[in-house]
Amino acid sequence: MNPSDKPPHLIGGAWAVLRKDLKLELRNKSIFGTLIIFVLSTLLLVLFAMGQNDLNPKAEAGLLWIIILFTASLGLGRTFLSEQERGTVIFLKLHTQALMVYLGKLLFSFLTILCANSISSVVFLILVGVDVTQPSLFILVIFLGTLGLAGATTLLAAVISKTARGGSLLPVLLFPLLVPLLLTAVEATTLCFVDQPMIGDPWNTAIEPLVTMISFSGVVIAASILLFDYVWDQ
Amino acid sequence: MMYQPKYYKSIRLSVIIWMTVILIGAFSFGGLWLNIPNVPMLEHTARNLYFHVPMWFTMMTLTALSAIHAFQCLRTKSELSDIRSSAAALIAIVFGLLGLATGSMWARFTWYEGTNLWWNFDPKQSMAAVQVCIYGAYFALRSAIDDPHQRARIAAVYNLFAFVTVPFLLYVLPRQLESLHPGAEGNPAFSDITDPMMRIVFYPAVLGFIGIGWILYTQRVRLSRVSLTLKKMQ
Repeated sequence: MNPSDKPPHLIGGAWAVLRKDLKLELRNKSIFGTLIIFVLSTLLLVLFAMGQNDLNPKAEAGLLWIIILFTASLGLGRTFLSEQERGTVIFLKLHTQALMVYLGKLLFSFLTILCANSISSVVFLILVGVDVTQPSLFILVIFLGTLGLAGATTLLAAVISKTARGGSLLPVLLFPLLVPLLLTAVEATTLCFVDQPMIGDPWNTAIEPLVTMISFSGVVIAASILLFDYVWDQ
Repeated sequence: MMYQPKYYKSIRLSVIIWMTVILIGAFSFGGLWLNIPNVPMLEHTARNLYFHVPMWFTMMTLTALSAIHAFQCLRTKSELSDIRSSAAALIAIVFGLLGLATGSMWARFTWYEGTNLWWNFDPKQSMAAVQVCIYGAYFALRSAIDDPHQRARIAAVYNLFAFVTVPFLLYVLPRQLESLHPGAEGNPAFSDITDPMMRIVFYPAVLGFIGIGWILYTQRVRLSRVSLTLKKMQ
């Protein structure tokens, strides 16, 4: 290929990066298989540790989000490391621009953890026996939380691909930054789990955490787009 | 090339003298001069105000300084900006830990008297803890990259990325956790009942602590500069 083969449009380039990652993933299912096993074994550990005790909604929401957080930090650490290991970074650099790579990887990360999160939350709800009083709100919260998570993790995945220790560093870098997202997500999820008569309209109460989650995602993605050039280009 | 600004030594000396005077002022008992009223329960622990609060201000100043130099480092790729950014982060950790220590020790014997609590999830306390964690991660990241130019760039990216998420903590934490700190709802930072004598010591103490932060920070910067020059001469 020669440089004129560079995808002319941002969207086209990002789409090509995403399609490449999806194809690779479908071929050997390395990330997704690991994530499913990780989620299931973590859930079983949590269940065994808790026994038959009934938890209050806040604790249930907290547990769910801790599991989601660890799943994401496990699954997304490899997005850029794998390129480094396969030696394909140079090809991406030749044929695409930094922003295309970022957007493609962001979408791929988002889709991966969206799948993992939907499976883990469904299994969690069934195994722990939680009554979801607000299903639509719950789905929205998981969706927005995943967006913020993917936004914050993609840049850091690129950052750790430049380090010697690699993957083990990601949770250390990631978790302090996710405190605001985790707190709001737990707050909103708690609203989905509590019985209706206890509070007023849950959507009214949930609007503030939801807006916070949206703005958090917006800010981290915007900051990542601005900073990604410095990580990607030598 | 030694780095020695013109008035460095005289400014440093005046900061040290300034702090000595403040220490005398902070601990002057008896007599009329700078004695503070003996409020029940607070008693003389109120003098902690002269130390604890200025430590926070110093930490915040250094955090902003670190981010500004990280930005400069990305813009100009200068080694000096990287040195300044990391030195500010290091001193910010020191003041953060000191602030946490003085705060939780003081609160143990006043706010949480009789409860045996050392740590309560107060928003300001939690925020400081998260900030210390972020800078800890920042140094873990630095230690994992060998190439100095790469290290400077990647560390600056993480520094700025963390800096944009901190405002969310300011907004999210106070809604989730109750605060006993002044400045929260219906609890002004300084009120009419605050003894004017305390202000006489407090405001100079803020200046003095920022001065100490500046001394430590410049010391680190000069040390790193000298060792960098030595390394280049070899």
